[in-house]
Amino acid sequence: MGCDAVTFRLTCPVCGKRDIREFTYGGPERGSRPAEADPGSESEAAAEADPAAGAEAHFRWAQFRMNRPEPQEEWWHHGAGCGVWFSTWRDPATNREAPPGAEASEHEAGGGDSS
Amino acid sequence: MSRLPPSSTERIDRSRTLRFRWCGRALEGFEGDTVASALWGAGVRTFGRSFEYHRPRGLYDLEGEGSSQLVSIDGVPNQSAGTTPLREGMEVGAQNVRGDPRFDVYGLLDRLDRFMPAGFYYRLFHRPVWAARFFQERMRGLAGLGVLRLGVPDRGERAERYLNADVAVVGGGPAGLSAALEAGRLGLRVCLFERRPWLGGHLDWRVRDGRPLAGEVSALADQLERMESMRVFRHAPVTGIWGENLLTGFQCRTTGGRTGSGTNGGTAAAFDETHWECRARAVVVATGSIERPLVFEHNDRPGVMQVDTAIRLARTYGVRPGAAAAFSVGDDLGLEAAVDLASLGVDVRVVADARHEGHDEALVAALVEAGIDFRPGWAASRVRGRSRVRRVELAARAGSGATVGSAGGGAGDSLRVACDLLVASAGRQPDIGLLSCAGARFRHGERTRTFELERLPPDVFTAGGVLRLTDIEALTSSGRVAGLEAAAACGADVAGPLARERARLADRPGPARGSSIVRGPVTERRLAAGRKAFLDFDEDGTWKNAAQSAACGFDVPELAKRFGNFGLGPGQYRVPGQNLAMAMAEIAGRPVGSFAATTVRPPVIPPSLATLAGSNHDIHKRTPLHDDQASRGAVFRRAGPWQRARYFSADRECLEEIRNVRENVGLLDSSPLGKFRIWGPDSLRALQRVYVSDMTRARPGRCTYSAMCNDTGNIIDDGVVVRTGEDEFYFTTSSNRAGGTVEWLRFHTRYDGWDYNLVNLTDALASINVAGPNARRVLEKITNAELSDEAFPYLGCREIEVGDGVAARCLRLGFVGELSYELHVRASHARYVWDLLWEAGAEYGIRPFGLEAQNCLRAEKGHVIIGTESEQRVTLLDIGMGWLWDREDTASGKVGAAALRYCEGQSGRLKLVGLRVDDPAGDAGAGTARDVAHRPEDGALVVDGDRIAGFVCTTRHSEALGWQYGLALVEDRLAERGRALDLYESRDGRTVRSTATVVPPHFHDPKGQRLRSAPEGRPRRSGEAPSKRAPAAHRRSPVRFDAAPARTERRAGWNVVLDYESDRAPTDVLRRAGLVDLSHRVRWDVQNRDIRAVRPFGLDVPGRPGEVAVRDGLMINRMNGTQASVWHVGPGAAPAMPDGPHYTDTTDSHCWLALLGDAIPEVLESVTDLDLFEPGRARPFLTQGPILHVPCQVVTWRDDAVLLAFSRGYGQTFVEALLESGRHAGLRPAGEQVFTDWTHALKS
Repeated sequence: MGCDAVTFRLTCPVCGKRDIREFTYGGPERGSRPAEADPGSESEAAAEADPAAGAEAHFRWAQFRMNRPEPQEEWWHHGAGCGVWFSTWRDPATNREAPPGAEASEHEAGGGDSS
Repeated sequence: MSRLPPSSTERIDRSRTLRFRWCGRALEGFEGDTVASALWGAGVRTFGRSFEYHRPRGLYDLEGEGSSQLVSIDGVPNQSAGTTPLREGMEVGAQNVRGDPRFDVYGLLDRLDRFMPAGFYYRLFHRPVWAARFFQERMRGLAGLGVLRLGVPDRGERAERYLNADVAVVGGGPAGLSAALEAGRLGLRVCLFERRPWLGGHLDWRVRDGRPLAGEVSALADQLERMESMRVFRHAPVTGIWGENLLTGFQCRTTGGRTGSGTNGGTAAAFDETHWECRARAVVVATGSIERPLVFEHNDRPGVMQVDTAIRLARTYGVRPGAAAAFSVGDDLGLEAAVDLASLGVDVRVVADARHEGHDEALVAALVEAGIDFRPGWAASRVRGRSRVRRVELAARAGSGATVGSAGGGAGDSLRVACDLLVASAGRQPDIGLLSCAGARFRHGERTRTFELERLPPDVFTAGGVLRLTDIEALTSSGRVAGLEAAAACGADVAGPLARERARLADRPGPARGSSIVRGPVTERRLAAGRKAFLDFDEDGTWKNAAQSAACGFDVPELAKRFGNFGLGPGQYRVPGQNLAMAMAEIAGRPVGSFAATTVRPPVIPPSLATLAGSNHDIHKRTPLHDDQASRGAVFRRAGPWQRARYFSADRECLEEIRNVRENVGLLDSSPLGKFRIWGPDSLRALQRVYVSDMTRARPGRCTYSAMCNDTGNIIDDGVVVRTGEDEFYFTTSSNRAGGTVEWLRFHTRYDGWDYNLVNLTDALASINVAGPNARRVLEKITNAELSDEAFPYLGCREIEVGDGVAARCLRLGFVGELSYELHVRASHARYVWDLLWEAGAEYGIRPFGLEAQNCLRAEKGHVIIGTESEQRVTLLDIGMGWLWDREDTASGKVGAAALRYCEGQSGRLKLVGLRVDDPAGDAGAGTARDVAHRPEDGALVVDGDRIAGFVCTTRHSEALGWQYGLALVEDRLAERGRALDLYESRDGRTVRSTATVVPPHFHDPKGQRLRSAPEGRPRRSGEAPSKRAPAAHRRSPVRFDAAPARTERRAGWNVVLDYESDRAPTDVLRRAGLVDLSHRVRWDVQNRDIRAVRPFGLDVPGRPGEVAVRDGLMINRMNGTQASVWHVGPGAAPAMPDGPHYTDTTDSHCWLALLGDAIPEVLESVTDLDLFEPGRARPFLTQGPILHVPCQVVTWRDDAVLLAFSRGYGQTFVEALLESGRHAGLRPAGEQVFTDWTHALKS
């Protein structure tokens, strides 16, 4: 990534385009929190279910990030501005906003210069 | 003095002589000189010594490109002589020199180069290991440039400037001026940056056929000056183009002297520089071309210089570059310079041109006419003379009909010329540094023989010399094309004009043919034998080093750059960049364009670090009790955004403060505590989500303690929740979490669509903690409220009145382990209440205590501080607070609950334990190792065998206990009571050991009796009023101006300053800039899911965020989907806050300022990058964003009136920083009258 990718802006739905320093990152969109299994439930299904399976699902949701170099939906908080959480599409390979499903933009991963 | 007769192009003022000193010698120059031109004009030839070989170096370039011309000025090292204007009395010194630069002791290093091959730093001198350090220190002492003298104080004033533009144009030459004009004509906001102190580019000094070319651009420059939407920044180099067209750079601030295109640059104030950033929608890069050095033997000798350097010395500064000159050039500009210098009386003896053909015939004719020996297909091969040029050898290049001359070659193919000046250049290359920064791609062009643009980044355009255009009409036409293209990128409809201008450009001559010469006719044999021919002057990188790099396998430019240090100096790409790529191709025996030039990185032109550091305001939050605590001897420490009182005496153990709380009564300012109001139908569900406990238990009048976890079950916050209404709660958070709490709640409920409102009252409410056995006795003296254990038990919360009817929310808590009341009062009332407590406590000897005392007191009690007794690996359960968790609740989706459930039974986790540190004296007596004579400190490691098994979080010696206690996180197998622990830590480079025993983590009053029942106050008869009538309540603003009030008014408890002595003439204030503190004026927050349904005083909330309505003396700002703020801007008393849950009085939340006057845009530009004055946008409008890094609500009422509100705690430091930043624009404090007059004038 060249220095052209270091500074970028995001479009806040309330305030418009602002410098990235005004925002904090809330991670990629991953759906709402998976429901917890009721530990008090005596139902057969719950008894048979692998207790680790629920935890596994939760950890996948809470911890796993795929980090693909392609546009993804992300959560951002405009903390230095209007204070709103919003989701937007962005390509982490170029740091630019990109519409969903856009072709992964041209990105020179290697190139001649790595410093 | 070797000055030429005056000419029309020069920019020096010969009537004003400036005296300065060079290495102790008194010299003279003229106003308008740079340091370099003055030195050369005074006959100085050696400016300093080179980085590695200590070779003498002179003036090679005048653009500040290389390190050869770096000097020290007034004790500040590494100043660019070529670009720094000369000032009276300057002390200029040479660098990397022992003694006089002409006779440097280390000059002999030049003969030791065989021991310093490319990459020697990485390859040699690292074995044996002991020797590596020796060599490193020696070599660092020898190599390098200027010496930083720590004793020399920083000079100069630094400022910042943030610009918003439609089109930014880099370069004020013919192309840049044309581009700017074209965009400006369409009414676009244009910023033009020119690194020299004047406009015109290379036309400024060029003279063709006896006619100065400056006239071609002076008309353009004049038009530019008159344009409304145009801003021209001279002496303002651009250091980088970053993502989405952010330009950065600096500007040398000038004082006095006109800076117009026809005058001198003015005198720069010493070291005054402004860092600027410009966000543009489109950028035009018109940086022109620079010279590509010609590589030949000893091409670095003083007296070898670029074409532009020679001609500018003569034409701009009236300095004779040399008496007798030889030229070895590669393009027509070089020929033109030779003709011109000859016409100025320089004895030009020979002109070699590396090109065999394609010369401008008119120039050749002029050379011949002047009787100059012109040799096409020739180039310089060698310079004789050590500290100055004495003789030059030129030779025919291969393919010119003669063979390349070997040493002492025949008379037909080589030539020796005696001269003191060699003007040498391989030709010109486009100045692509900024384009490279911006992400442009290049390829080598066959015709131009330079790296040409292949692809431009979005919304970046280019024109002029960068495209290798030379024809003046073509330069301006390409500028117009780029200007129109940039305008089109900004949305202007310019298709017609653009097509016409492109057609016009197509009719002009295209890019100039270039020369691919890198190296003069020097044989490999001579270079291999150690004859130095430099590719990079900055780091002494020779052709031989490049060949060595290739031989070591670092055979492409980007590798050779690192291995051989090419282009790592201040010159970066400018001197070696393109040459390196071409040289590496030649060394590899490949075609000249095989390798791409190395990537250029900002800063393209280096600014000083002090400029980058900027004004460096220390902006932090202060509590309303800051000043009083300071007067009582408080020592402040930074805690998050706050400055907080840590100690109240020199005793860092705070024994007196601790004893006073345990035995008597103390006062703590705990104002940074997070405080929040949450209400709405789903507010309880939101609390259930983030708190681990069952929040349905929260009741009015009672504090419910709970904690928050993150998704991995780590405890991140704790505090209390009080129910204050049917769907309304008041809750506190730790100080560190206060800023992120709203964000946290909204994030974790973002999918739920819940209806709740949240207001951060952290700054609005001060918090004063009255703690100690006598706390009740003190508090009851200032309130009528019932304080007995029955009426107001431990963990109770009561709304009380103190003093003269001041409302306070009183929480009976016990963080420090004693009877303690926390009073939450309006921040503006804080000082009043604080003073009441001091007076009431005087008979008990009340005294303040700071954070360190509180830290000891709470640790003795075993109360944790999140982040001190917890960290990323530690869950709620691990620190023994699992009892807070409502583990039955799976319906609320509590954050962290799943993780807590998962790790509940895990072994191997860290657990919080108490420690009793073994008394070193006792152990020593028992005859154990002597190294245990040591008391551990916070952070000591717990070691089990050979493993680290935990650490000490907090440990102190307790006076009350008589031993040292501690709280530690240790692996669970070590956590059983009575376990002996080994503690290690590093002290002064030594490892020291101590031992401790695990004990329960409650050292003081384990049963909590002191919290629950404490000595009663003296019995009070029912209905008895406080013994003495309380003084009248007063309110205070967070801001105190350093100015004398002239007229004040008492208004609702506030002392309002109407005028200061300094603003008795308000019109005078408005002509510049006035800062009015309006913090005493009423503001409300309005929140509702359907914000439009709330109609404050029957007024409509504006329909869209950012819109502002002003009516009936009220300003309503729509902030986002659900929130608005109402500000009282009218005259007279503010109306009472309407009833209803939607409203929160946030008067005390903010510091509210008005900025009035014509210079307000200039003031704000120096403190924020927000676009507050966007043309065409209906005023007033609201912007929410950072000013001085502090989030603000900003209302642009008019261009001469801006209101802003921000967190109250920042008030004083923000205002101080603002006044300092705005001083250059005349900003000064003003009274409220200026504001009321302004609003009055608005109406009439």
